[in-house]
Amino acid sequence: MRELEKLYSRIVQRVNINLRELDFDVTPFAGELIPPDQMTKFYAFYGITPDHPLDLHFNHSALAGSYFLGKCRIKNSLLYKSDIRGDELKRKDQVFNHGDFEIPLTTDEVIAIDDSVLVKTLVHNFSHDPETAEKFFIKNTLAMDYSNIHGAPSDGCFLGPFATVDLTTMRDCAIGCYSYVQAGEINHLRTAPGTIWVNSPGNFNFLYSYPTEALAHYVSFSPENVPWGILFDFIEARKDAFQRVFDFVNLDAIESVPDTASLDRFAVVLPKTKIEDNVLVAQRAYLENSTLGKGANAQENCFIINSHLEGLNVTAHGAKIIDANLESGVFVGFNSFLYGKPESKLNIGKGSIIMPHTIIDIDKQLEIPADHLVWGLVRNNKELAENSIPLEQLVNIETSFTRGRMHFEGQGRMFVKAFQDRIHHILDVNGAFYENGKNEGHAQRNQNLSLNTIQPFHFGEMEGMYPDIRIQP
Amino acid sequence: MENSSVKDLMVPISEYATVVLGTGLADAVTALEKAQEAYTASKYQHRAILVLDNNGNVVGKIGQLRVLKAIEPEYDFNDTMKELKKYNFSEEYLSQLRDKYRSELPILKTEQLKVIATKKVEEFMQKPRPGEFVAEDCSIDTAIHKMVAGRHQSLLVTRKEKIIGILRMADVFAAVFHEIRVFDV
Repeated sequence: MRELEKLYSRIVQRVNINLRELDFDVTPFAGELIPPDQMTKFYAFYGITPDHPLDLHFNHSALAGSYFLGKCRIKNSLLYKSDIRGDELKRKDQVFNHGDFEIPLTTDEVIAIDDSVLVKTLVHNFSHDPETAEKFFIKNTLAMDYSNIHGAPSDGCFLGPFATVDLTTMRDCAIGCYSYVQAGEINHLRTAPGTIWVNSPGNFNFLYSYPTEALAHYVSFSPENVPWGILFDFIEARKDAFQRVFDFVNLDAIESVPDTASLDRFAVVLPKTKIEDNVLVAQRAYLENSTLGKGANAQENCFIINSHLEGLNVTAHGAKIIDANLESGVFVGFNSFLYGKPESKLNIGKGSIIMPHTIIDIDKQLEIPADHLVWGLVRNNKELAENSIPLEQLVNIETSFTRGRMHFEGQGRMFVKAFQDRIHHILDVNGAFYENGKNEGHAQRNQNLSLNTIQPFHFGEMEGMYPDIRIQP
Repeated sequence: MENSSVKDLMVPISEYATVVLGTGLADAVTALEKAQEAYTASKYQHRAILVLDNNGNVVGKIGQLRVLKAIEPEYDFNDTMKELKKYNFSEEYLSQLRDKYRSELPILKTEQLKVIATKKVEEFMQKPRPGEFVAEDCSIDTAIHKMVAGRHQSLLVTRKEKIIGILRMADVFAAVFHEIRVFDV
């Protein structure tokens, strides 16, 4: 057996050992996850920038098509087309505040991935765990296609396709496909597909569960089959556009990008797209026939097609916006799928918040008024009424409310504030408020980024594996 | 009373209201009513009827609470409650939600009652539970212990393997109370 296959089997076993209490076996899902020949097909690459400390350490791992930035240590792991973005890691001497604790950092934080398989997974942000402030760990974990591990240290976990764990430490958990969890800390939890859970103990608790059959239409996976559904078909249909940006080492710079904006070299931009000041377009973002107004951002794996974003819009990791008009300040959360049609546009009013993992799929024009919170599955006005609430009404909720398949307990005011603060923070770090040399963020700093590539062994026992490499300034 | 045994206070099966397996809820209620009318002379009416199988063996019991439970719609929210608990929702929220779900399914609606009337006794009878049996020659002391420990309103009295009567709490209470009154100075 080749080294790559041995490594893969060992990782699958480690994940299974961790998940044995949940009676969850990842073996059937892991079988067809990465065809071994794909592991030699793509180079890995990393960013060099004066703005982020550099220390990359690859040890006994396969890294096909993956990207690394900042301080990352990868050991005994298999990464396939994953983004390990260490540009928001904490720095030495910084003080990390958590509850009543003020934790001084003795070293720069590092993303440490051990004994894990990550497929088309985004790893970003920083560890929010006060117990491991200097180490954003991911170990004994299997993450499937388009999952997001966002500020979420993980030990012994499985993430299904399009699952997101956000600002949460997880241990021995199985997160169902298209589930979104933000809960601080979770242990031995198994979530059903399409579980949207945002919990801040003592403040608020939000839970929405997708109707199983309806969700299966968009995202499905089973032991017998590779994942399928509209979301996969949608991405697959645009796969070729990415081929070109990854095939060429040097691409011609796209004109008409303002000096204050950043367009990643590994993003796809098709005519006629307009990018205005302070816009950030991350790698693997796909833009087509759209306008990104001042301060808007398009994060990794997002798609913006035939749409107009007025400005200060956050399009979070993996979100997809098609045939839609977004007024200023509209937030679209992780992996949301806003699927308007050319003859039936989706219009979203100023300041509205589209919760992570929301699906809006319409055949008739739909208007979402300004300052609304929207969640779950929305295919018409009736479902919009059931899955939304004006922010003005939500801030007055003091105890609880139930609407359709959504449960909320706690203070609405805190929930809205948490979202609005976070949206402001995202815009801020992305450089959306940059003006006259002040409030610089990723959009301005990423311009100082260059890329290097690394290659795997192409022959022999080590085929698909990468040599042990340490990259430092 | 000190020397009394269970058989001295029990009601024999032959005097008890019974229905057979397969009886509908409406007929069971009628049987219960008739049994109670027949015992109006008694201070303590029959509160339950027994369900017999084809061989005349007691296989279950139906009281008023069981009948009310049978007419309550089957709420399909147990899984939801379990899930909400898993995701840290409070008991207060769950209780409020249960009330909400129940209020959405009214009980006393003609259509609902028509369906309920066709329910068979085996669907809602209470099957005898361990600890609910007492042998006919046991002392009343033993019966009292069993009633208190198991919170049983009545016990099934057995002779070898067969159930031959019912020992009702009301009868035991009356007998005990009578004894105590003797010492009332």
